[in-house]
Amino acid sequence: MPEAIEIQLKKGALELCVLALLSQHDSYAYEIASQLSDSIGMGEGTIYPLMRRLQTDRLVETYLVESPSGPSRKYYRLTEAGKASFTSQKSAWGSFSGAVESILGGAK
Amino acid sequence: MTRQAFMARLMEGLRGLPPAAQADILADYNNHFNEGAAAGRSEADVAAGLGDPGRLARELRAEAGLRRWEEQRTASSGASAVFAVLGLGAIDVLFLLPILMGVASVIFGLAVAVLAIFFAGGVLFAAGPFAVDHVPGGAAAAILAGIGLMTGAASGGAVLSIVTIGLVNALVWYGRLHYRLLKPALEPQVSGGVQ
Repeated sequence: MPEAIEIQLKKGALELCVLALLSQHDSYAYEIASQLSDSIGMGEGTIYPLMRRLQTDRLVETYLVESPSGPSRKYYRLTEAGKASFTSQKSAWGSFSGAVESILGGAK
Repeated sequence: MTRQAFMARLMEGLRGLPPAAQADILADYNNHFNEGAAAGRSEADVAAGLGDPGRLARELRAEAGLRRWEEQRTASSGASAVFAVLGLGAIDVLFLLPILMGVASVIFGLAVAVLAIFFAGGVLFAAGPFAVDHVPGGAAAAILAGIGLMTGAASGGAVLSIVTIGLVNALVWYGRLHYRLLKPALEPQVSGGVQ
């Protein structure tokens, strides 16, 4: 089931991508979802379960910002724990993907 | 799918969650439709982008169920965690169900046995001294044997609940492993699996 594997891979990487986006600037779910679905092709809906989990894990916190168009937006920003988690996950991802890459490269 | 149909199916799937959490989640998705509309997308386009509302609801519910089990180790939170993990479809239910049923009935049988031994001990402890003629060793032996049976049953029960908690933890861990495959792989030292 190559599709299932692809979905699982993307799902695992999704959290890291969200943390990476938020480490650059605070953002709201719709923006995060559209950026990620454009580039890695995830269903936009999956962002919300993930944001809830990050929030209960206290990696992100929310604040409301008045929007020029319509109701106020819920912005997410990284907490200190979120920043620490991003740093460690990023380096873990680097060594993990490097290892996978070198094995895949060897199996032409 | 229209916005209305999407929200209705999502709401349907979220039933059983605390009302505040449901309202929160529904507000998030409503907002998403508003933002989509503001960006000039059609309802059908936004709904298609969001994915299957039933699947989303299952994920949201599973996460809530797992969290409840981590916060309070009760029989009902354990059961809801098990069902939440099964509901995800992360584990092949057809493969797992017979095993799960077997394990559950063994645990249930042991629990009944432990209770029976405890009560037998209680009866021996209370009634033994009055039936000295029928009990070898006299009243003191009957009382001691009763106490022995009851404490034995109590410790058996304690071991049984530890084993049950361990099994539910293992299932939850296994479900999570499938559910977010890479996270435990990336953080083996943090997740640690079964506590």
